[in-house]
Amino acid sequence: MDIRRWIGGALAMATALAAGTVQAQDIKIGFNGDQSATAVAELGTAGRWGFEMAIEDINKAGGVLGRKLVPVIRDDLGTPPKSIQNVTELIDNEGVAAIVGPTNSGNALAFMHIPQQKKIPVIVPIATATEVTTRYAKQAQNFLFRISMVDREQVALIVAYAVKASPTKKIAIIADSTGYGQGGIKDATEVLALHGIKPVAVEKFGPKDTDMTSQLSKIRGEGADTVIVYAIADGTAHTLKSLDKIGWAPITLSTWGSQSSVLPRTAGQKLAERLILTASTTEDSNPRAKALGERIRKNYPTMTTFACAAQAYDAVLLLAAAMKAAGTTDGEKVAAALEGVTGVQGIVKTYDKPFSKTDHEGLTVADFYLARWKGSLVGRYEDAVTKTFTPADFKK
Amino acid sequence: MVVLLQALFSGLALGGIYSLVAVGFNITHGTTRTFNFGQGEFLVAGAFVSVSVLLLLAGKGINAPLDAIDVTPTVYAVSLVGGTLVTAVLGVMLYFTAVRPFAGRPGLAWVMSTIGFGILVQNTALAIWGPSPVPMPSPLGNDVIRLAGAGFVPQEILVLVVSVAVLIALDVVMRRTRLGKAMRAVAENRNAATLMGIDVSAVVVGAFVLSSAFAGLAGLLVAPITTASVYMGLTLALKAFSAAIVGGLDNPRGCMLGGFLMGLLEALVGLWHAELREIAIFLLIIVVLAVKPEGLLGRRRVEKV
Amino acid sequence: MKRLHLAGVVAAAAFVILAPFITGNGFHLKVLFMIGVNYLAAVGLNVLVNHTGQKSLGHAGLFAVGAYTAALLTTRFEWSPWLAFAASGVTAGVFGALVALPALRVAGPALAMVTIGFGIVIEKIVSEWQDVFGGQAGIYGVVSPSVGGTDFGPREWVWFTGALCLVAHLAVRSLLRGKHGRAFRAVSHAEIAAESVGVSVYRVKVLAFVVSAITCGFAGALVAQQNQYINSDFITFGLSIFFLLIVLFGGSSPAGPLLGAILLTLLDAFLARWPHIQHFTYGLLLLFALYLMRDGLSGAIGALARKVVPSLGVPPALPTAVGDWQLRAGEVASPDRPLLEARGLRKAYGGVVPVNRVDLDLRTGHIHSLIGPNGAGKTTLINLLSGIVAPDEGSVVFNGRPLAGLAPNRVCRLGLGRTFQNLKLFVDMTVLENVEVGLHAHLDAGMWHTLWATRTAVREEHEARDEALRILDFLDLRDKANERAGSLPYGLQRRLEIARALATHPRLLLLDEPAAGLNPQETGDLIDVIGRIRDRGITILLIEHHMDLVMKISDHVIVLDRGEKIAEGPPSEVQRNPRVIRAYLGDDDAAEDDLPPGIATAGGHG
Repeated sequence: MDIRRWIGGALAMATALAAGTVQAQDIKIGFNGDQSATAVAELGTAGRWGFEMAIEDINKAGGVLGRKLVPVIRDDLGTPPKSIQNVTELIDNEGVAAIVGPTNSGNALAFMHIPQQKKIPVIVPIATATEVTTRYAKQAQNFLFRISMVDREQVALIVAYAVKASPTKKIAIIADSTGYGQGGIKDATEVLALHGIKPVAVEKFGPKDTDMTSQLSKIRGEGADTVIVYAIADGTAHTLKSLDKIGWAPITLSTWGSQSSVLPRTAGQKLAERLILTASTTEDSNPRAKALGERIRKNYPTMTTFACAAQAYDAVLLLAAAMKAAGTTDGEKVAAALEGVTGVQGIVKTYDKPFSKTDHEGLTVADFYLARWKGSLVGRYEDAVTKTFTPADFKK
Repeated sequence: MVVLLQALFSGLALGGIYSLVAVGFNITHGTTRTFNFGQGEFLVAGAFVSVSVLLLLAGKGINAPLDAIDVTPTVYAVSLVGGTLVTAVLGVMLYFTAVRPFAGRPGLAWVMSTIGFGILVQNTALAIWGPSPVPMPSPLGNDVIRLAGAGFVPQEILVLVVSVAVLIALDVVMRRTRLGKAMRAVAENRNAATLMGIDVSAVVVGAFVLSSAFAGLAGLLVAPITTASVYMGLTLALKAFSAAIVGGLDNPRGCMLGGFLMGLLEALVGLWHAELREIAIFLLIIVVLAVKPEGLLGRRRVEKV
Repeated sequence: MKRLHLAGVVAAAAFVILAPFITGNGFHLKVLFMIGVNYLAAVGLNVLVNHTGQKSLGHAGLFAVGAYTAALLTTRFEWSPWLAFAASGVTAGVFGALVALPALRVAGPALAMVTIGFGIVIEKIVSEWQDVFGGQAGIYGVVSPSVGGTDFGPREWVWFTGALCLVAHLAVRSLLRGKHGRAFRAVSHAEIAAESVGVSVYRVKVLAFVVSAITCGFAGALVAQQNQYINSDFITFGLSIFFLLIVLFGGSSPAGPLLGAILLTLLDAFLARWPHIQHFTYGLLLLFALYLMRDGLSGAIGALARKVVPSLGVPPALPTAVGDWQLRAGEVASPDRPLLEARGLRKAYGGVVPVNRVDLDLRTGHIHSLIGPNGAGKTTLINLLSGIVAPDEGSVVFNGRPLAGLAPNRVCRLGLGRTFQNLKLFVDMTVLENVEVGLHAHLDAGMWHTLWATRTAVREEHEARDEALRILDFLDLRDKANERAGSLPYGLQRRLEIARALATHPRLLLLDEPAAGLNPQETGDLIDVIGRIRDRGITILLIEHHMDLVMKISDHVIVLDRGEKIAEGPPSEVQRNPRVIRAYLGDDDAAEDDLPPGIATAGGHG
């Protein structure tokens, strides 16, 4: 019951008004992302709980630099003006040392100039648009980092598989018309071109559509044997259903969004198992992941995308490690330290120098694997094709 | 051809949903000149209440996932009653808090208050069920039925059959029964209806009950196709509203026609360019209204001078 | 009131200038900036929604037009940011006019639909047409205005936005206080009446849409340029609702949008940490605010203030000596010439033919009466003459000019005024304002003058008020000048309609049952009034059932029956005409009692 959450909110308001609960020496870390207003709110909510759990764990282990971490959580309702306002508030009013967020790429692109100017490190745990970490890459210090499955990296993996597995090399792309889907089309087309392949068809559908039969029929008409689906989980599920409707079963590939349990429940077990998708981590990856999943479900029982929680969790661990390494919470020094942290044992992996001066993507194609639904769980997927992968296959 | 057939069929199924909601707009607009701008959230309420009823009947917790085995036609029918009942009650609450204080007053007050009521409903649902979409199995299973090369999901057929049946029943009730005649009388002339001994306020409350129940029913019917989501309301209700306006807000048959037209149009434009669908549809609506402001089957209202 | 306003403006300006010095907190400055942006969007929307009565649920689209104009011009075409900012208002204004085009034909829910459709189409265009608008990835590097080479910082933005808001406030305020403001309210009350006194409903609606579009476009450009970035996620249906909420919650007075913007922006910033409470607060606000405060927050505060300080509610004193009302020279047609000639007028509604091939000749300086049994087609004939209904066949030539195809406001401007059988006053405006609306077509000051309240505009307003007072004097309504038109007794409301029609400077005045509902005393007064109007050189055509009145004052009587003219001539002839008697009696031998007094009984017995 989420009712507890907003009763909790009311209590939080009371305590905040009572003031003084936040000690001057505490370190505030901000979280800003959509948790209530659009279809990606479920991802943001998962991320938010991962974020809170990490802070809880760090504080239990004695905090950072002898100080306690304090979470400051904001909901941007999925709209850029609100996101900009929240980030300004977190930095200028709350005085946070770092920010984790947001949920959707549009908001990240809209607010990122603020932390960049104010020299506050941001780790993006969910939004996947490539430009988030590249826009300021040429500046003296880029304050935007990411622990998420950036589009370009997962596309590299998907396309590598598609190119090897497709008998006729006739590959098609279908994506939803949101920024996420459109970014995916762009990346997939470019990466395919690196392999010397032009997609035989590129089709789009609306984010709330439930019938993609016409687009898929067109794709089939072009003779494709492999389809890359770039959409959030419901869209991918409906694409699978529509494939079933027109009685066609090409090789179907999609992104990490399909790890959401919405997929098998919407498309049904049988169809879901047809899909090959990318993953960074799943709840059964390791015991820490399993434990985190269970803890979060106590607060958020309907969590569908564990990866968001795991990535947000790791983002906080990395920030804490960087602060320790820098010996300060000063944004500029923490950002520099982030580029050198080692040995941080996170949920997704153990981070050894995950970032460099020029590359702020903490997770890359090397950390990803192909996966597939099996029963109610997503498991690693391997076949004859994946066994032949070499690093040279992952063009990007 | 197969592609066209496929598009026509899913267009009709979606059109059934739009029609149900659009007729709901007509019913309350006829009696009070207002309607619920937050109707989309009533679809959400209908869908989620029904999901909860199904979970209850399956002996599961409120946030547990539903499995196909939990949804038999019988329990689906029970949940349908539960969902429409709750939305009907919401309709009464809506009327007394958001509509009655403003009905008959010029301006936009009722638009705002009904949107506000919808926001409350949506966020109550968000507080109870959370932001994740809840997939709902169809009582008829998920196996594709093939017809002349085109495939349909059984739920689409169920949606079409139920919505057409309900709409025909409504049409008969409105034209043949005392209740329907009373409603039409109130729509035509409130004062005259009062003089004829019709209990106008009962009819008006009834209109909101009916309209809200239709929205709840539509939510439950559409949920197995789209998955139940706290955010599914706005788009569906906007399209249904467009359907009502294009068909003629003051004519129930016009609203039904508008709903099916809208569904078909969406499917057909989708054949051509899915991403241009909203642009094409709304431009078309603006053009239709510029030429025929009263809607396709609407009656032109002439101000008496 | 004037001093209060001046004090408010000075205080607001001082606050905007000083606040950035007092706080360096970026968040506080950001909130101030957002208040300015929201106010700017709302100040124009207030004109459209609260004053002109047009619903718009698509202003996010106009916000987008402004934002993307500034973004594209500074990034793709490298325009100066100042020029691009100015251009954003212009393009938004053009789009505003475009939205207004269907607004003449549709009203109510259909208008809401058109505006929703417009908003969604714009939202989809900026998210789908990625080559131009960048979709969700957006346009990065939008150039902010700069002074001396340095880009605006948070402080400069607050000052710049504050200055814009002040200018917008002053302009919109003088717009609303002048002839356009009256026209907006007239259109929102009674469109047909506004048309019939020479106000072009179409132009007024377009103007209101354009004003709201311009300020909304500027708001969009501010956001894009301040943030140096814009993408399609900024443009949502929710934004349109938010703008509408500000103006409805704030209320119609010029202070309304400011109150609304301040309160809702602060609420938005303060509640961000408790998203659930925020959603519920919005819901409750939407649901109950308008129930508790009919005219929003500013209306409620105003009412309270007037209760506490009664002197605030006292209207300004009006000048006393104003002189006698006369038509202007050149407006009086030379007497005893044909003023209006109608030939073969016909109008049919399906099988019903209320006017069937009627010829009409009205002579300057005469009082003509149009009589006939109920349903004879008298009102339809007047509607045909005044342009409210277009004839199927036939022609009307008025003062040498054909009236075919002219909108009612054009007909009125040619000198044809009218009143309505079912009163159509602008009930929420004062008696004086009702008459001033009638003068609308005779006020020449252009938009520029009204916006900045130039000396020309102020002088003209004073002249208009004086003339309106003379007209009220002429009709003995002077002491009611500051009362709400809707609060007058019925008989005075009828007379006010005549006063409003006189203000249009008619050569021909059409009165549709001016004595309906009047008591004998009032009817007597009316006879006197009509006579005095004729003496001012105004020709009159009146529809009346009071036969004694007709017979007493008419120079010429025209009788209609079932859409056809069956007789005309001097009263004494007409009342003896057997066809007329039969029309009133029917073909059977009806009882003499059924005759209206005056017909068949020469002289009439009251």
